[in-house]
Amino acid sequence: MAGLRPIKFRLLELFSDEKEHWNNEIVEQMQKEYGMNSNFGRDSLNFDILELASGGMLRSVESKVDEDGVYKKGFLLHKYVITDFGKTRASDACLMYV
Amino acid sequence: MDIRELKKLENKRKMNKGYMWALFCALLWGIWYIPGTIIWAVPPFDAMWINIADPTGAGTYESATAATLVVAVLISAFNALTVIIALLIWNGALGKFGEMKRTLKEFHPCSKWFFLASIFGGPMAILGSFIAIGFVGAGFAAVAALLYPVIGSVLAYYWYGEKISKRAALGIFVIIAGGLTIFVGGALAEISAGNIAWIGYAGGLMAALGWGIEGAIAGKGLDIAEPDVGIAIRFIGENLLWWVLIVPAVALAGYPIFEYAIAAFNPLSILVLAFAGITFGFCYVCWYKSFPLIGVGRGQGIGNLYGLCAVIFMYLFLAQVPAWTVLVGGALCVLGSFVMISEETGDMESLRGE
Repeated sequence: MAGLRPIKFRLLELFSDEKEHWNNEIVEQMQKEYGMNSNFGRDSLNFDILELASGGMLRSVESKVDEDGVYKKGFLLHKYVITDFGKTRASDACLMYV
Repeated sequence: MDIRELKKLENKRKMNKGYMWALFCALLWGIWYIPGTIIWAVPPFDAMWINIADPTGAGTYESATAATLVVAVLISAFNALTVIIALLIWNGALGKFGEMKRTLKEFHPCSKWFFLASIFGGPMAILGSFIAIGFVGAGFAAVAALLYPVIGSVLAYYWYGEKISKRAALGIFVIIAGGLTIFVGGALAEISAGNIAWIGYAGGLMAALGWGIEGAIAGKGLDIAEPDVGIAIRFIGENLLWWVLIVPAVALAGYPIFEYAIAAFNPLSILVLAFAGITFGFCYVCWYKSFPLIGVGRGQGIGNLYGLCAVIFMYLFLAQVPAWTVLVGGALCVLGSFVMISEETGDMESLRGE
């Protein structure tokens, strides 16, 4: 796993295209990249996204109930977008924003 | 249930989880004062104190202050050592060594915050606590540090604009009033007895300042790191400070600290130190885990219940009976924490201003 950056750095990087992303899509991609394919790995990645959101770096713009069970059936899915504060912190972490 | 209700529920669940972590932190932190007190009477620390305090054996104890300080340094260093062992096992069990390596490599953007936090948390707060335990007593050490949320929340507010609601501010205020009741009560009794241990009170102040500053700095690093990993890195930093800088410096000053460090590897002292490491290590894990969920101010506020827990545990296990000021202050601490917990959190999505 050479060259991987800390998980939250990578999460901010994925959001730094300023597009809106669903949490389940991001989690799925991260699971592949970091080889965290267990349920524990999935929940722990989702928790990292939650932490970024509560820290004000991501903002939830849309939510829907996971009717089809693409992530966890009956739970809420969130669509997030990076905030200005998130961009600042991302550039602190030497990501692409300058 | 419509989506808005579900969202509210989810938010509430998140906040409750944060409060739960903070409460666990308070329990474990309170328990920590038991090994923190017992260790002073366990070999070789008891003999170490006597030998340094009374080098001629004349029973004059002319170097008692220096002895207490040096023993406090060695105990703090061992405390850091057992904590990092507990945390490495914890991170191993969670499979987070990979993430730890990745975070350590990012020194400039990220792990520097944890090293900075270790300076304030370790040689300032933890040493200050042991100094307060050594000079005044564990009950005092526990409640003296109760003031740290003021420093933590004010710093977090001015530095990175963390929101403090009126309700949270009120809760913090009541907790502080409780802390002050306990603190001033003890100090007044000592002053009237004509024998006040000023260094011990300075230790109590070091603990309050150190932990408050650490919390605010840690909040900054936690923005972009995982808490379990962050706390382990913070204790790696603290171990380096103790074992590479401070303990050798004390040895160079002529104190036989290394001899006693080696002598500390006996079953009883390892048992007590391990107890301290486990309670303190996991109290820190819980503390750091609560910050991203409920914010530094609230995390520290609820964590503050440790003062009450410590007083109860000291009474149950070491038969140290609290003064009435301690009971009144403790009750205020509980009240203040409930003021904070009962806040309606369903609408609160982020803890920061945009």
